[in-house]
Amino acid sequence: MTARHTRRLLPLLAAASLLAAAQAAAQEAVVVPRFVEETASSGIDTVYAGEWEYMVGGGTAVFDCDGDRKADALIAGGAGVASLYRNASDVGGTLRFERLESGLEVEGVSGAWPLDVDGDGIQDVVLLRVGENLAMRGLGQCRFERANEAWGFDGGDAWSTAFAATWERGMALPTLAVGNYIDRKEEAFPWGSCTDNSLHRPAGAAAMAFAPPQPLVPSYCALSILFTDWNRSGRPDLRVSNDREYYKGGQEQLWRLAPGEAATVYGPSDGWKSLKIWGMGIASHDVDLDGYPEYFLTSMADNKLQALSDPVAAGGPLPDFKDVAFARGVTAHRPYVGDMVKPSTAWHAQFDDVNNDGRADLFVVKGNVAEMPDFAAEDPNNLLLQKPDGTFLEAGDTAGVASTAIGRGGALADFNLDGRLDMLVVNRWTSAQVWRSAEALPGRWLQLELRQPGGNRDAIGAWIEVRTGDRVQRREVTVGGGHASGQAGWRHFGLGEATSAELRVLWPDGEAGAWQRLDADGFYIVERGRPAVAWTPG
Amino acid sequence: MKKTILALSCAVFSLSFAGGALAKDKTIGVSWSNFQEERWKTDEAAMKAAIEAAGDKYISADAQSSAAKQLTDVEALIAQGADALIILAQDASAIGPAVEKAVNEGIPVVGYDRLIENENAFYLTFDNKEVGRMQAREVFKVKPEGNYAFIKGSSSDPNADFLFSGQMEVLKEAIDSGKVKNVGEAYTDGWLPANAQKNMEQILTANNNAVDAVVASNDGTAGGVVAALTAQGLQGIPVSGQDGDHAALNRVALGTQTVSVWKDARELGKNAAEIASALADGTEMSAIANAVKFTTPGGKEVDAVFLTPVPITKDNLATVVDAGWISKEALCQGVSAGSVAACN
Repeated sequence: MTARHTRRLLPLLAAASLLAAAQAAAQEAVVVPRFVEETASSGIDTVYAGEWEYMVGGGTAVFDCDGDRKADALIAGGAGVASLYRNASDVGGTLRFERLESGLEVEGVSGAWPLDVDGDGIQDVVLLRVGENLAMRGLGQCRFERANEAWGFDGGDAWSTAFAATWERGMALPTLAVGNYIDRKEEAFPWGSCTDNSLHRPAGAAAMAFAPPQPLVPSYCALSILFTDWNRSGRPDLRVSNDREYYKGGQEQLWRLAPGEAATVYGPSDGWKSLKIWGMGIASHDVDLDGYPEYFLTSMADNKLQALSDPVAAGGPLPDFKDVAFARGVTAHRPYVGDMVKPSTAWHAQFDDVNNDGRADLFVVKGNVAEMPDFAAEDPNNLLLQKPDGTFLEAGDTAGVASTAIGRGGALADFNLDGRLDMLVVNRWTSAQVWRSAEALPGRWLQLELRQPGGNRDAIGAWIEVRTGDRVQRREVTVGGGHASGQAGWRHFGLGEATSAELRVLWPDGEAGAWQRLDADGFYIVERGRPAVAWTPG
Repeated sequence: MKKTILALSCAVFSLSFAGGALAKDKTIGVSWSNFQEERWKTDEAAMKAAIEAAGDKYISADAQSSAAKQLTDVEALIAQGADALIILAQDASAIGPAVEKAVNEGIPVVGYDRLIENENAFYLTFDNKEVGRMQAREVFKVKPEGNYAFIKGSSSDPNADFLFSGQMEVLKEAIDSGKVKNVGEAYTDGWLPANAQKNMEQILTANNNAVDAVVASNDGTAGGVVAALTAQGLQGIPVSGQDGDHAALNRVALGTQTVSVWKDARELGKNAAEIASALADGTEMSAIANAVKFTTPGGKEVDAVFLTPVPITKDNLATVVDAGWISKEALCQGVSAGSVAACN
């Protein structure tokens, strides 16, 4: 080899090794958490059972029912009874649950959401059912009693599949929205028989009872609904995701919820653009850190990630969303392992930071409706890790959570309070599953519990801002969305390498709390108007 | 048919190129919804052969079941110089922006097998109403009077109603005169054989098994029907189907199914290539041979060609063997010697 050739070769080699280093760095840039399935030893053994009327639903309510600040789990049983599991895991230990008699052992439950309806500091539970929905008042010690009559809550007699709650300004009680599906009496010809969704508002500002429900007309077989402040107006609206398989002339919906006025649906004149999907679940998060939530909508084949088309429009953003799922790598439209030929069916979705790197990741539960031949039979759940460039990397298989059971609902929650998010998935016809995030992660974290005076004790509708350097993660505190599944309790933030972070809460009435600095790797109770107080588990 | 999992690469973009030896400058771009589904291989071979025989170039992209990827695939095909596009839409309502982009650039679009709700897209498929007519016709030939049951397709699929309306067209006179009696009809959720079987069982129960013929809308539902009939010892009464499923063709040979209406994918592929080529040459959509006006379920008027399918009965089973669609072994499994000509 001549000297001339050598000189030419050197830069090439250098470039090649730089490229290799860059590729290695890109891979290392995303930490894959390692999960271990602990279903068998966990004590959880609840199947979402039933035939036609239970093809959708199959949710879980994850919340603390006994005051130890560990996340307990209520799992819908469909045609069987729902089961409440008290979390008996040791801090940092394996996942262990004990089934107990709670008063929630009811048949026909499709989904469940925790929230403190009456503001007494104890989480209540709304059970959505095939049949009458139940408002179950929490009594403490994981006991519950029916409160439909006490609260004037009309449970209806529909096939209910979606739930959301918000506190309208000045109200002691929340406003509840119930999404309904097909008229189940129309089994022979269900198409076009969507039952109206309903809005349950308080009977008055100080009233501790609900007024008769208002139908939301038109309704298009909702499978997920969410009160969310999509344009940061200070007032949440109601986002509804609908199943195009069964509606006629329907589309996705956004309802305007002005105080004291009937809800009205946004239309083309408002800038709304029609979208028809097999809407199954909604997950919201400010993924691009622009201050506005993006909405991940689960469906069949492609899933959508909606971002405002023009967030900086003069006069405020219009309800005009563009789909950025493909650009960000979250279409998750078919299995990434096994049978890769047919498209996927997606249900529950949730944004949370499973590797504590400071970027929200995306968890999607998958499963065929039953045996639909045009869709994947073996359909693994997704764990999509957000990379530094904002695109997502599928890690369900490498993280150890690629279950191909027929999934429906689910939750990411730190069940053993070790700072890492664990996973619960509810399955049709087979038992729910749990995975523990089992290996140390380099990133740090914060977990927060909000509290304020008044009926809306848990500050539903607040925005939590966590600042590290010039990066601000924001999350809206919501009740609703997902698929048949909801959570209350710790709000988890990954911090990456930061050893501390600044926290600020924008309370539901718009008042901004003061910035305060918190040490990383801790639990904090954030009471309005006071410095956050550290809480130590165990 | 899903056993064959092809080890295709998982590249996000899988544009493939095939240079035509006698290139006459035209490039036909084909956007497949999910090319890993085995059934499209036959279509592609016929399409490619026709395109290359005309001296044109075939380029293609595989959306891998993603409607979002298909939008970018179509843009990529346009960027690669496609003079006409053939699109098998993953999602007929989501493909709109890609069709509009093509139309704005003067590139004609042929909607392949699946309707695209856009008046600027040509529509090529088999004549589903004729499929329904053929089903009813073959059953009626065998059973010109009696109690008929109708096992329809999935109600969410517009084809189900096209099929049923074709069936009723043929039988209307006999029904009006009372010779044929409709003793039960049911949609089949998801076209699932298990649902068809359940529906057939209910119809049999409601009629004390007094059913003389069943017009089933495809081979999958026919399979469910035959299972329900067999459980009651009624196998052998006339039953229709479509698709040329191997199991169904075997039933035709065995005598438990009367007809399977077969759509020859090679015809569809060849016609798409020829239509795309003609449109790229500037032929008006309405001037394409055999083109008719078709009103879509969404109320749009499109130009369309509806190919005529072939009813496969005991008498012409050799057609599917000769076409290489099914082996004689598969067709004739369990058939007693001498009972069917194609099995001799």
